[in-house]
Amino acid sequence: MRPDLERELIRKCKAGDARFYEPLVRAYEPPGLRLAIGMMGNLEDARDALQEAFIKTYQSLPRFDLKRPFGPWFFQILRNQCRDMLRSRKARFNLETLDEQLELRPADAEQGPERRRERATARDLLWRALERIGEEHREILVLKELEGFRYAEIAAILGIPEGTVASRLFHARRALKEALDDMGVEYP
Amino acid sequence: MTWVLSTREEHPQGYRSREIGVVPERVTHEELMCFIDGELSPEEARRVEAEIVASTELQREVAVFRAMKADFQDLTFDPGDRHHSVWDSVNRRLTRPIGWLLLIVGVAIWTAYGGYVFATSPTNPWEKLATGAVAIGILLLLASVIWDRYRESLNDPYHDVYR
Repeated sequence: MRPDLERELIRKCKAGDARFYEPLVRAYEPPGLRLAIGMMGNLEDARDALQEAFIKTYQSLPRFDLKRPFGPWFFQILRNQCRDMLRSRKARFNLETLDEQLELRPADAEQGPERRRERATARDLLWRALERIGEEHREILVLKELEGFRYAEIAAILGIPEGTVASRLFHARRALKEALDDMGVEYP
Repeated sequence: MTWVLSTREEHPQGYRSREIGVVPERVTHEELMCFIDGELSPEEARRVEAEIVASTELQREVAVFRAMKADFQDLTFDPGDRHHSVWDSVNRRLTRPIGWLLLIVGVAIWTAYGGYVFATSPTNPWEKLATGAVAIGILLLLASVIWDRYRESLNDPYHDVYR
């Protein structure tokens, strides 16, 4: 979404007209859902977290500074919502139903059955490794690898200095690698 | 078990995972991450690249991290048709409280005004008492039913299920 259009929509929402919130929700829902699934590990809890985050974001809009970008601010609220839900034990990172809820990307349909089976196995392994590495490592990997954010954006979302992002990413990637090792995964 | 995310064809140099974390001092872990993620300036990237070319250890490190990164990105998934937009739920939660607030304020004003008119009217006191008792009884029963339904809706595990 164009930044000027986004600012205009936020201005209307700040004036109390909730109708103008819909384009913002529609625009940020797909990346928000990816982040929430990455942190919660299942679709139901991810949807709950996403919904609550959108409501909290709207309610906080009167305090939002229009000079700041909306995206990192929203993702920060969503990330905090996911963490709160995980800590209040209303939800836990749960992969039990993930395979039934998610589909491989459409591009996979063009590949052969053997390759699709390999991708499904790989996805399963990667997500089980993510389950093992803990919340802090998982969130930064999801922000970088699934969302593709730059370091500055990740720093804004996590509320940490930009220089710390690289350090945390290194530890997260190393933890993921160790988790895969522990699961018996061998590199060629 | 064989790691299927990255085949030897995709990463012909091959790599082993156990050595991760052994980075020569001239390139820090942070610089290595910035290099892999394309966050270095061109000058810094050239310096780190020169160090990588000179070190087989670093080459192995970079190959492992790049392979992991590629695998991760390739595995992004999509909930497809199973996900309905949350907008309807969000919109309901945002707009309903305003409606309820207006309704409650309106009813309160009308009730207070009606009570005042009724109390100050020259009607027989027994008629007033009986009418008042009926009205209060109906209001209490209505409030009780509404309260019960509200409490049930809070605990309803299927309240977000789409029909």
